[in-house]
Order: sequence, then C-alpha cells, then structure tokens
Amino acid sequence: MSVVTSLGRLAARGVEGALAVAVRVWRARQHPPRRARLERFGAILQLTVPRALVFVDRAFARRVLAVDRPAIWAGPETALGDAPLSAPLEAHLQLTNRCDAGCQGCYTGASPEGAPGEWGLAEWMRAIDQLADAGVFHVALGGGESTVLPWLGELAEHARRRGIVPNLTTSGLSNLDRLLAISGQFGQINVSLDGLGATYARVRGFDGFARADAAIRALRRAKREIGINVVVTRHNFDELDRLFAYAAQRRLSEVELLRFKPSGRGARAYAELRCSDAQHRAFLPAVLAAARRHAVRVKVDCSYTPMLAHHRPDRALLAELAVYGCTGGDFLIGAKPGGQLTACSFAGPAPAAPGGERPRVTELLRYWAAPGAFGAFRSWRDAREPCASCDYHSLCRGGCRVVSAHTVGDATAPDPECPRVVDAAARIHVPVVR
Amino acid sequence: MGRGKILAIKWGMNPNSSSLGVDVTFLLVGATVLAAVTPVIGALLRWRRAIPVDQADR
Repeated sequence: MSVVTSLGRLAARGVEGALAVAVRVWRARQHPPRRARLERFGAILQLTVPRALVFVDRAFARRVLAVDRPAIWAGPETALGDAPLSAPLEAHLQLTNRCDAGCQGCYTGASPEGAPGEWGLAEWMRAIDQLADAGVFHVALGGGESTVLPWLGELAEHARRRGIVPNLTTSGLSNLDRLLAISGQFGQINVSLDGLGATYARVRGFDGFARADAAIRALRRAKREIGINVVVTRHNFDELDRLFAYAAQRRLSEVELLRFKPSGRGARAYAELRCSDAQHRAFLPAVLAAARRHAVRVKVDCSYTPMLAHHRPDRALLAELAVYGCTGGDFLIGAKPGGQLTACSFAGPAPAAPGGERPRVTELLRYWAAPGAFGAFRSWRDAREPCASCDYHSLCRGGCRVVSAHTVGDATAPDPECPRVVDAAARIHVPVVR
Repeated sequence: MGRGKILAIKWGMNPNSSSLGVDVTFLLVGATVLAAVTPVIGALLRWRRAIPVDQADR
C-alpha cells in the first residue's frame, strides 16, 4: 500500500471520527444523558466525549457538582467498593425471549414463541421510568432477539428522554431494515458473532455467518459505534486473532469477549462448549496480543476477572479501569421478559425481600436496600479460601456466581474455573473442572 | 479542602445485555498512559463545573 493511500485512509478515518463525535454531541444536546449521581464515596460523573463513567471522591465532586451537603454524604466517606452503589450503573433488559435462531448455547433458552407473560411497551416504559428515578446511566437491551419488537425504537427514544442511554445487542439475523431505521437511537450496537464461517456454525449450531456479516456491514455504514460480541468457547478460542482481524477489516469500534455461561440451553451445552483450564490461563495474553496486532479496542465481561488476575496485572491499574468481577446486584441488574428483577441476566429471579414477593424491575427502588437483596450476589465479602487471601479479591469478588452455582451447586463458592481455585484444589486433591 | 481525585474510569458503553463489559485495552499500554489520560478527563469534568444533580440526589 502506498504512503498516499495510507494517509488518505487515515484522513478519512479522522473525518469520520470527527463526524461521529459531532453526532454524539448533537444527540446529547437533544436529550441530555444523566450527568452525575452522588454516591457515599463521592459521585459518578458521565462524559459523552469521550464516553466514560468517572468515579470521583467527595472533594472532586464538590468542585464540579452543584451540591453543598447532600444527605448521602452525611456519614463518613467510604471507598469505592466498600458498599453497593446507590443504584446500578446499567440495567440489562431482556425484552423478549422470542428468537428464531435456536442457538445451542443460548443463555436464555430463547424460542420462536418467547416466554409466557412477556411485558409490552407500556410496562417496559414504566421500568425505564423506575430506572431513571433510581439514577441508572445506561440500559443494555437484548433478548431473545429484541429487534422482533415493533416498539423497540419507541422504548429507546423513551430511555433517551429520561436521560438513559440505550445500547443494544442483536444477532443481526433478522429485521435488519427495522434496526437500521432506529440505529441512531443507540449509544452502541454490538452484533453477536461467535466465529467466522464454519466456526460460527460449530458454536451456534447453524450457519448464520453470512447474514450476521451482512448486518454488521450494513450497520457499520449507518453508524460508527458498532462492535461484535464474541462468546468464547473451546471451539473458537484459537480463532480469536482472526475475529480481531475481522473487526479491524470491518472497522468496528470494539470486540467484547464473553465467557460462556451455564444458563438456559447453555447449561446443557456447558461441558462441550466451555473453555478448558489451559485456555482460561492463556486468555489474557492471547487477547491483548490480538488487540495490539489489529489495533482494535477490547472489552471483557465481568466473569473473566479471575482469568485476568491470574496474570497478576497491576492491581491499582485494574481498579482505575473499574475492572470488577461479579457486580450483579450492584453495578448491574437484569430483568427477565416478564419484568422479574435479577442480579444479572444469567441469574434466576432475585430472592423476595422479607415479607414480600419476588421483585419486578419496576420495584427496584424499594428492593435495592432491602435486607438480603440479591442474595448470594452481595455476599462476596464473606469469602472462603482461596479467595479470602487473594490480593485481587476485592476486585474479582470471587468470580462468576452462575458458574459456581451450576458447577459446585453453591452460588457463594469460589469460581471453580479460576486458575487460583483450580491450583488450590489440586493441592488438596479435590476433583476440579479442567 | 483537597482538589480531590478520580478513583476509576469505566470507558465506553456496554451493549451486552448479559454482563458488565469493561475496556481492558489500557492493559496493553499500562499505568503510565492511563496516568497521562486521567488529568485530561479531570480537566474536562472541571471545565463543566456546576453540573446539575437530580433533586432526588441532593
């Protein structure tokens, strides 16, 4: 490639980036997103350009916020992580369980019929209102396949009006025209892509790569903030570098890597699809090498924190990047298609508060501070070994509760796939998951 | 009163409706680059001083 061609492409990307920033600013002026939320440690501030949630202490917050002595600061200043946040940062709304794809590892067990008692637009708008009142910054909309819902754009618009930024995950397998028409409503759209070509079929159980790829190309023409979600399994692990190359070729904004979870149909397929212990140990170096080689931004899901900690990265750096393990029922919550509140999308409905029933997402404000809210998801501070003595425990929080519940039968147990847990179990000759 | 400090920055937005996605790209470049970026973020925030907070939060 000639120098002139390279410079031309660089200039084109620069212009495109500037245009995207301008669109983001324009949209933020139309419907300003929530800009700040007070916390016991100080506050969380939202930036639109660059897009970030910034956690600051009280002294910093006093300098930038129009507050004097808010009630939430009446007690002593705590450290970030000492207690659950005053509300989630984001809510993961599983708007429907309808989906025709039939993926063998689907974490919700989605079907063409969907789930009984699914909510409609009016109920989800009330949920958005409750989340806005609680101070939530973002919602991640998904399913099932939420693009089957004719009112998806209306709900996204309502979220914007209430100061919440809606984001979306889609399979890209259907309803592309409908999605293209409303793509501007969303902060970020990621298409699920678990492999290229034949690998896609091997992981998902059907050949949908060409359709997903077509959707990615069409969405990318319409919008800059398009990425891919990759559920990492033992079948596509060796293809991660090629997936990053694909993302670079399609000029996508990010690759988000998700650990396979034993949830929905994924529980039955878990033994076959989950990564091996060796792959978990190789995960971080492999991912960072691919991100560097192809110059693509990489995000990982909360359940990968034990695999990051295994390489003993700078603990302070992880904290500054807000890299946490299980933050279900704290930084994030989920809601099932019928509105049932969950600690995360993979978990079952949250336990009932004393004297109450299992909560709906429209009851978040009342439930959030109830004794025993979110059960095992908030008990990570009572860790047992080898988590209790781990330097990274306050960040990792014991790994994925859903994996522990499925594999060990105890949601409070240390994540059995954490390399440190595997090694500890080997020392005392306990059978482990490899 | 001190100037205060930034405790953490969560970059980007998470579209994934099943887990909290965190940007680990900074692990490639290390703490030095983040240490250089953080003051810029601080300056951006201070530039927009008197950010309103919802009445319910006060």
